[in-house]
Amino acid sequence: MNRTQLATFWERYGTFCILVLIIAVFSALSPAYFFRPENILQIGVQSAITVLTALGEFFAILIAGIDLSVGSILAITGIVTAKLMVAGLHPVLAVLGGGVLMGMVLGAINGALVNFTGLHPFIITLGTNAIFRGLTFIISGANPVFGFPYEFVLALTGNVGFVPAPVLLALCLAVVLWFVTTKTRLGRNIYAMGGNREAAYFSGIDIKLHTLVVFIISGFCSGLAGVLSTARTGAAEPLAGQNFETFAIASAIIGGTSFFGGRGRIPSVVVGGLIIGTISNGLNMLHIQTFYQLVVMGSLIIAAVSIDRLVGQGR
Amino acid sequence: MVETATNLRPLVEMRGIVKTFGGVHALKGVDLNIYPGEVHVILGENGAGKSTLMKILSGTYQPSDGRIFVDGTEYTHLTPVQATHLGIAIIYQELSVINELSALENLFVGRIPVRRRFGFGVVDWALMRREAAEILKKLAVTLNLDTPVRNLPIAHRQVIEIAKALMLNARVVVMDEPTSSLTTLEVRSLFKIVRQLRDAGTAVLFISHKFDEVRAIGDRFSVLKDGATTGTGMIADTTNDDLIRMMVGRAVKQYFRNEQPVDRRQAPVLKVSHVSSRDRRQVVDVSFEVYKGEIIGFAGLIGSGRTELMNCLFGTMARSSGRIELNGRDITPRGPVEAVKRAMAYITESRRQTGFMPNFSIENNIAVSRSVKISPLRGTWGLIRSREDHRLAEEQRKAMAVKCASVRQNITELSGGNQQKVLIGKWMCTQPDVFIFDEPTRGIDVGAKAEIYRIMRALSNSGKAIIMVSSELPEILAICDRVAVFKTGRIVQVLDGATATEEQILDLALIREETAK
Repeated sequence: MNRTQLATFWERYGTFCILVLIIAVFSALSPAYFFRPENILQIGVQSAITVLTALGEFFAILIAGIDLSVGSILAITGIVTAKLMVAGLHPVLAVLGGGVLMGMVLGAINGALVNFTGLHPFIITLGTNAIFRGLTFIISGANPVFGFPYEFVLALTGNVGFVPAPVLLALCLAVVLWFVTTKTRLGRNIYAMGGNREAAYFSGIDIKLHTLVVFIISGFCSGLAGVLSTARTGAAEPLAGQNFETFAIASAIIGGTSFFGGRGRIPSVVVGGLIIGTISNGLNMLHIQTFYQLVVMGSLIIAAVSIDRLVGQGR
Repeated sequence: MVETATNLRPLVEMRGIVKTFGGVHALKGVDLNIYPGEVHVILGENGAGKSTLMKILSGTYQPSDGRIFVDGTEYTHLTPVQATHLGIAIIYQELSVINELSALENLFVGRIPVRRRFGFGVVDWALMRREAAEILKKLAVTLNLDTPVRNLPIAHRQVIEIAKALMLNARVVVMDEPTSSLTTLEVRSLFKIVRQLRDAGTAVLFISHKFDEVRAIGDRFSVLKDGATTGTGMIADTTNDDLIRMMVGRAVKQYFRNEQPVDRRQAPVLKVSHVSSRDRRQVVDVSFEVYKGEIIGFAGLIGSGRTELMNCLFGTMARSSGRIELNGRDITPRGPVEAVKRAMAYITESRRQTGFMPNFSIENNIAVSRSVKISPLRGTWGLIRSREDHRLAEEQRKAMAVKCASVRQNITELSGGNQQKVLIGKWMCTQPDVFIFDEPTRGIDVGAKAEIYRIMRALSNSGKAIIMVSSELPEILAICDRVAVFKTGRIVQVLDGATATEEQILDLALIREETAK
């Protein structure tokens, strides 16, 4: 294999190779517990929320932007969904209104601010991240919200066949978004904007509309993640989703998404999210404390992206 | 002093300098002698090779052929460091001062003097101040050395560059269009400095477009055209007409002009009226028509506002007024999306910046604008029709004679000319009625140029309105039926392409400006 072939191979399957490598390492370190069917499913469940936020983040990075507010959108949608249910709203309506719609509206606020101010999404979402988190505290009085119907928890944590519901949900969304990125004009236009914003503008692509849509998608994904997170913990925590932007960004970048925009694939991002979930699960299996986990996680992110750069230089 | 200059041995002698960039000859054997104590003006159209020649002199480029002598010694591989040591300094149009540093620090960038203090090396500010004061006294300028350069007027930043050159004992100072951003008063004080330099025995190479300045400051001149020297002599003995003739005056191929005379009694295909940019300075109340079978060209200096006008037409730049009618129907676009939907196409002047998506294949680059045109709701919704996209890409590849292995190839793998053809093909797929070609042949080899002219002519003959911007006069004259000469945001005059001459256009674009002042 010559250099360019290696680079092409790496672009497609590099992330997958890293996942296999990490699984191999943990299996060797913890042979009794790690590589068992129950644990593999558990990894899937643990990764589902990361994958969801990463899918949204992927779009933001694809247009050479970023979304730092995924964690706080997760928290606020979780709280609002829970509050609505406690207030007696039907869980389905609560999920649609307080989770999904709410997430989309918050995403639209991000997108509209980016369009209106012309500032980089980094600055806008840095600000809205704080705003949304603050609102979460105000709405919840800084207390967790619980006491919502058990059917809600059951529906979103149970199994469909043998597949856990969160895994199914994340996979379905990934497939839909994969379709959007590869088969629709919207998707191609977003790649075009990421590749060369100016040229896309001169080609007649509506930059502002697409920016708005990108942030709505990101908000939607975070909103869904917020609902899942609430179901999983059995209570809506105002502190939920802290640092999740780090994991979302890391998943997208480990998945080969170019920080400069215009390059990246949904399947690789899903694998990127799985890598984050696997590392976290594996470290738990090895009984490593949470504090140390953050250190290891950060180091692995840097290592994974460095490897990607080194191998992918032929691009 | 000037009369004796030619009797001296030249300080720098460049002989038969050739420079090729990937098969394209930028310089085809230029001779240039620089004598101490002269102001030597370099004249030439855009793209004549002036900048390339200066970059060879400064060691930035290595010549493909030819010899360079400094003080009679030959230098085969002149490097930038060597050139600096030999006393050759270039002051570029975009000044290279560091805006955040003070004037004093800028003067010593890269060679700040240090002295020992308590075992440490500390900056020797006193020495810096002394030396700086001395050099500024020599230049007879006063300037606050502690002001950050960003707060100084451009003229003072230029003075800093000159002072920097002198501190390095420059014997040849090259100034690349130094007056382009200066006021009349600043120009006068710059000239005073230039004369001082000359009288002290420094050779000044002065690149300019402006004839009155050339006359005011120049002793000798050299004219470059198409990468060759077409004349050299004393300014005082040469008229402006002579100079212009040396700058242009070549046999122009006119194959691409329309054979049939354009019928201008019919209603125009395109009618542009009263277009002004939002600031009303870059584009000022421009009106023109394009008739059936006609290509209208916009000639003028770089920075005269032609590209800005095109942006105003296409909706990519804000207008304060203006109306565009196609066959009597108002199509004035509010933005590029509407422009595409209303059958306008804009081949921009910079392929890399505003032309193609580097992450896309040829096929996808061709497909994007068509997708906007045919899709309902601003081009966002709907599925990609990949089979149709592929078929259209293949069609354009044949029609434009794009040389590529496959339309699925990445566009960055193509040569500039082929990229340009792909971009024209992309617009063809939107079936536009109005084409804007902004510098369509920039950085393209001769063969591809001819093909692009052929395509433009064919489009025009099929009834499309074609607007072309070009800084290459021979190109404008070879293809345009009418030429609008543009200056400071306005059309000065519209000439008939068949009878217009380069001299006439240059005269309108350059000299009128100076008499008007």
